[in-house]
Amino acid sequence: MEPLLNISKIDMVFPTPKGDFTALKDVDLQIQKGEFISLIGHSGCGKSTVLNVVAGLYNPTQGGVLLNDREVLEPGPERAVVFQNHSLLPWLTAYQNVELAVDQVFAKNKSPAEKKEWIEYNLKLVHMDHAMHKRPDEISGGMKQRVGIARALAMQPEVLLMDEPFGALDALTRAHMQDSLMEIQEELNNTVIMITHDVDEAVLLSDRIVMMTNGPAATVGEILHVDLPRPRERLALAADPQYNHYRSEVLTFLYEKQRKVEPISTKTKDSAIKTDVKSTA
Amino acid sequence: MQSTLTSLSGFSKKLIAGAAIVATAISFSSHAELGYPEKEELTFGFIKLTDMAPIAVAYENGYFEDEGLYVTIEAQANWKVLLDGVIDGRLDGAHMLAGQPIAATIGYGTQAEIITPFSMDLNGNAITVSNEIWAEMKPNIPKMADGRPVHPIKADALKPVVEKYIDSGKPFNMGMVFPVSTHNYELRYWLAAGGIHPGFYAPHKGDTSGKIDAQALLSVTPPPQMPATLEAGTIYGYCVGEPWNQQAVFKGIGVPVVTDYEIWKNNPEKVFGITKEFAEKYPNTTIRLTRALIRAAIWLDENNNANRKEAVKILAKSEYVGADYEVIANSMTGTFEYEKGDKREVPDFNVFFRYNATYPYYSDAIWYLTQMRRWGQIAEGKSDEWYLETAKKVYRPDIYMQAVESLIAEKIVPATLFDSLESVDGFRAPQTHFIDDIVFDGKAPNAYIDQFSIGLKAQQQL
Amino acid sequence: MPNLVSDFTTGRYDVGFQTKMPPAISAFLRALILPMLGVLVFTLLWSFSASKIDTSLGKFPGPGAVAEQVVNLYNEHQASREKELAFYERQEQRNAARIAKDPTYIPKTRTFTGKETFVDQIGTSLMTVLSGFILAAIIAIPLGIAIGLSKSLNTAINPIIQIFKPVSPLAWLPLVTMVVSALYVSSDPMFAKSYIVSLITVTLCCLWPMVMNTSVGVASLNSDWTNVSRVLRLPTLTHIRKIVLPASVPAIFTGMRLSLGIAWMVLIAAEMLAQNPGLGKFVWDEFQNGSSSSLSRIMTAVLVIGLIGFMLDRSMLLLQRWLSWDKSTQVR
Repeated sequence: MEPLLNISKIDMVFPTPKGDFTALKDVDLQIQKGEFISLIGHSGCGKSTVLNVVAGLYNPTQGGVLLNDREVLEPGPERAVVFQNHSLLPWLTAYQNVELAVDQVFAKNKSPAEKKEWIEYNLKLVHMDHAMHKRPDEISGGMKQRVGIARALAMQPEVLLMDEPFGALDALTRAHMQDSLMEIQEELNNTVIMITHDVDEAVLLSDRIVMMTNGPAATVGEILHVDLPRPRERLALAADPQYNHYRSEVLTFLYEKQRKVEPISTKTKDSAIKTDVKSTA
Repeated sequence: MQSTLTSLSGFSKKLIAGAAIVATAISFSSHAELGYPEKEELTFGFIKLTDMAPIAVAYENGYFEDEGLYVTIEAQANWKVLLDGVIDGRLDGAHMLAGQPIAATIGYGTQAEIITPFSMDLNGNAITVSNEIWAEMKPNIPKMADGRPVHPIKADALKPVVEKYIDSGKPFNMGMVFPVSTHNYELRYWLAAGGIHPGFYAPHKGDTSGKIDAQALLSVTPPPQMPATLEAGTIYGYCVGEPWNQQAVFKGIGVPVVTDYEIWKNNPEKVFGITKEFAEKYPNTTIRLTRALIRAAIWLDENNNANRKEAVKILAKSEYVGADYEVIANSMTGTFEYEKGDKREVPDFNVFFRYNATYPYYSDAIWYLTQMRRWGQIAEGKSDEWYLETAKKVYRPDIYMQAVESLIAEKIVPATLFDSLESVDGFRAPQTHFIDDIVFDGKAPNAYIDQFSIGLKAQQQL
Repeated sequence: MPNLVSDFTTGRYDVGFQTKMPPAISAFLRALILPMLGVLVFTLLWSFSASKIDTSLGKFPGPGAVAEQVVNLYNEHQASREKELAFYERQEQRNAARIAKDPTYIPKTRTFTGKETFVDQIGTSLMTVLSGFILAAIIAIPLGIAIGLSKSLNTAINPIIQIFKPVSPLAWLPLVTMVVSALYVSSDPMFAKSYIVSLITVTLCCLWPMVMNTSVGVASLNSDWTNVSRVLRLPTLTHIRKIVLPASVPAIFTGMRLSLGIAWMVLIAAEMLAQNPGLGKFVWDEFQNGSSSSLSRIMTAVLVIGLIGFMLDRSMLLLQRWLSWDKSTQVR
C-alpha cells in the first residue's frame, strides 16, 4: 500500500559559526493513512527537526518529504502543527484562535454559519465549548493545549503534527489530555506524528513508536509496532504484560542502546547548538 | 480738550514763525470718500515697550474696528523676528525702530522695501548702568544743593570708569536693542559726546559687530531681557525704552543716568512700518490703519496726558507690556525715577501726538542716515541728494496727510489739531537741543556729519 | 492624628495596619492617604522654601500666590470670553450697517482678535501635541513594522535613525520654521504657520522612539506565532494585520507613551523658543513681562504643565490597557 507520507532519506545540516552541524542523517520513514506515530528519543536527537521538516518549516539539506506523492516545500494547513507551547495568539479568544485557522483554510468552501458551526464543533471535541470566549491568559495550561489541538484539527489536516503537546503539563492533566486525544482519534482516525519524551505516553497512544538515535547525525534507530487493541484503557493496561513488554523495549533502547554518556560540557555545547538552531528558525 | 488745543496751536504758531517755510498748501477740503479696507484681518507685531501704546489704544478703544479692521496684536521676541515677520508677511505691520525701515530699504541687514506712514512717538528711552558702575561714576558728577546729582549727566563721568576697566583688561560691555535701533545711535551719541569711542561698523569688510576701535563694546539684547542681563553681569549698562529702565530701579539692580530727552530733546523714536507692497496693494487699508493710529495718539496726549493712567492700565495687561502698573506709570505719567527715590518731572518723556510727533518727517529719516554713516554702517560717503531721496522712499507723509484729511473731512477729529502741519515741507527746523550742542539741519546732512570729533567724516571710508 | 501621621511616615503602621483592618480598606487608605501625605509635605516644604528665596521680582511664589493666580487666570479667561461676545455683536452691527448701505456686500464673520487666555493656550498646546503625535504615529508605526519585518531594510535605515534619534527636535526648529515659511504659502491658510511648525517639531521628536519600539516589537515576534502564520499560509497583509500588529501592540504602546512624554516637554520648549502659541509662549511672555505677578503665573503654568503631562501619560496607559492584550503593563 502506498504510504500517505513518505519521509525519504533526509539529511539536515545547519550552518553554525563553528562550521556545519549535521542534525539528521538519512532519516527514512513511511507512514500510512490513519497511523499514529510517536517519535521518541533523548533531547537534542533531532525529533523536532524531523517534525519541522515534515511541517515544511525547514527544508532538508538532502532527501525530501512526499505527502500523497507531492513534495513538501513549505508549510501548509494540510500538515497542521500543535506546538509545544500551545502558541495561541494571546489577543484572541479560544474561539477567535480557531476562527483564524478556519477563516483561512475554508475561506471559500464554508459559509459563515458553517464556519461557526465547524469552529464550535472542534472546540467541543476538545471539551472547550464552555470557555470558548476566554482569552489564553484566562484559562489553564491544559485548556490552552486543548485549544491548540482544536485549532489544528479544525484545519482538517491530512497529517497532524504534535510537538510534545503535553510536555509542559502536570502528570494528572497530561493523563487527562491523553485520554481526550485517544477519544478524538477514535472518532476522526487522523494520521498523527507526535513527539514525546514520555515512554508511557508513546506506548499508550501509538500504533508505531519510532525511536531515534542520539545526535549529531541522528537517525531512526528502531521502530516498534504496538499491537494493543483499541480502545486502550490506561488502568487495565498497567497490568497488561504485552504493554509492559513494549514499555521495556523502549526503555531498553533509550537507556541501554542509546544511553547518553557524555560529559556535562559536551551536553551544554549540544544544547547551545540546539538553541542556536531554534532562534534562527 | 480745550487746554490741549490752545497749547498745541500756541506751539504751532511758534513753529510756523521759526521755520523757513516752503508752503505746500494742504487743503483740508473734502474729497472722494474713503473706501472700505481691501484687507480687513490684520496682524500687527510689537515689542514689549511702552511706546507701543498707540497700537494697544487703537485696539482697546475700538479705533481699528471703527475703520472696519479686525486686528490681532502679537508680541514679538526681538526686533529681528519682528522685521522678518513684516517682510515675509506673517505680520501686516509692526511697531518698529525708526532705523529699521530705513536700514531695510538701503539694504543694511535684510533688504526689503519698508515704508512708514506714521511716526509713533518722541523720546521714551534712557541709559541705565549697573549699581557698581553708578557707584564709580557718582564721584565724577557735580551735585546740587540737596545732594542730588546735576542733570543731564554726561558720559564724561563714565569715561574714567571705562578707562579703568580697559586698563585692567576687562572689556566694558553695554547692551542696546538692535544695530539700527535708536538706542544704538543714542547710546553711541552719548558715549561719543563724553569722549568714549563706541566702535565702527565696516559692512564692506564683513564686520557688522560694530566694535572696531571701540572702548565700550555694544551688543544686542532684546529689550525685555535687559534687566536680567544686567543683573547677570553680562553687561554694565544699557540703552532701552520703557519700562525696562524703571524696571531696573524697581528691582534695585541699576540706575538710569540719562534719558534720551536729555541727549536729543524730542527725538523721533518708533515708527509704524509696513511693506511698500502692502501699501500699494491695500491703499484704503493703509490709510485706515493710519487713521486709527492717529486717533490713538491724540487720545494718549489729550488734555495734558489726562488719559495716561488709563493707558497705563491697558499697557500693564499681560498681552501688551505686562509689567507692573507702577513701573509703567512712572514714565508714562510724566515722571522718571533715576536713583531710587530721585523722582523727577519729565512731562515730555513720552510724547505721542504733541509737537507733530506722528508726522513722518524726512529730516528724522535723514538724522538716522547720518548716524549710520557716522558709525560706518553706510560704508561710503553719499551726496546730500541721496539722503533726501532715501528718506522719501521710506517716510510717507503723503499717506499720513490723506489719513488726516479724511479724518477731518468726516469730522472725526477737529482740524485745529493739525493747524501746525499746514506749512510743513517734510523738514523740521534745524534742531538745537543735543547734549553736545551740535545743530542738526536735515537739509545739509554731510555738513552735519563732519562736525563730530568721534565718528567717520562724511566722505571717510574705513 | 499627628501620631497617626508620624506612624505612617515612619512606616511603623505598615504591619499593624494590615492585621487590624480588612485588607481592602487598608489598601484603599494606603492608595489615598500616602499620596495626599506626599503632596502635603511637598506643599509645606515648598511654601517654606519659597518664603526664603528672594528674586529681583519679589519672593519666589508659594502655594498661596499660585492659588491666587489660578483664580486670576480663570477670571481673565471669563473676561476675555465676554469681550469676545461683545466683539461679535459689534461686528454684526457693523456688517448690518454696511449691508444697509451696500446690499451687494456679503458679510464675513471675522474670528475674535483678542489675545489667547491661559485656558486657550492650554487648549492650543494640547491640540498641537496630540495632532503632532498622531501624525508621528501614522508615519512611525508602518515604518517600524516594515523595518521590523525586513532585516535588509533595518540594516539600511538603522544608521539614519541612530543619527537622528539623539538630535533634540529644538535643533530642527529653525530649519522647520524656514521650510514651512517657504513651502506652506497660502493666502488663506487652514492652519497657522506657527501651528504647523510646532506640529512638525512634535512629530519629529515622537517619530524615533515610536519607530524604534515598533521595529523592535515586530522583530522580536514570538517565533511560534510566525510558525502558526506560516502553517496557515496567511498572505503577507493578513499576517501583518492579524499577527504582527496585535503582537507588537505592547511594544508600540511603550514607544507611544515614551514619545508622548518627550513630545510634551519638547513642545513647551519649542513654543518658548519660537514664540508659537501655547503654554510655552505663556511662560515666555510672563517671563518677559517681569511684573510682580509674573513668577507666580509661571509657577502656575509649571504645575499645569506637569499635571497635563501626567494626565496624558495616564490616558495613554488607560488606552494601552484597553487596547493591548498584555495586561501586565507597569503603572509607573
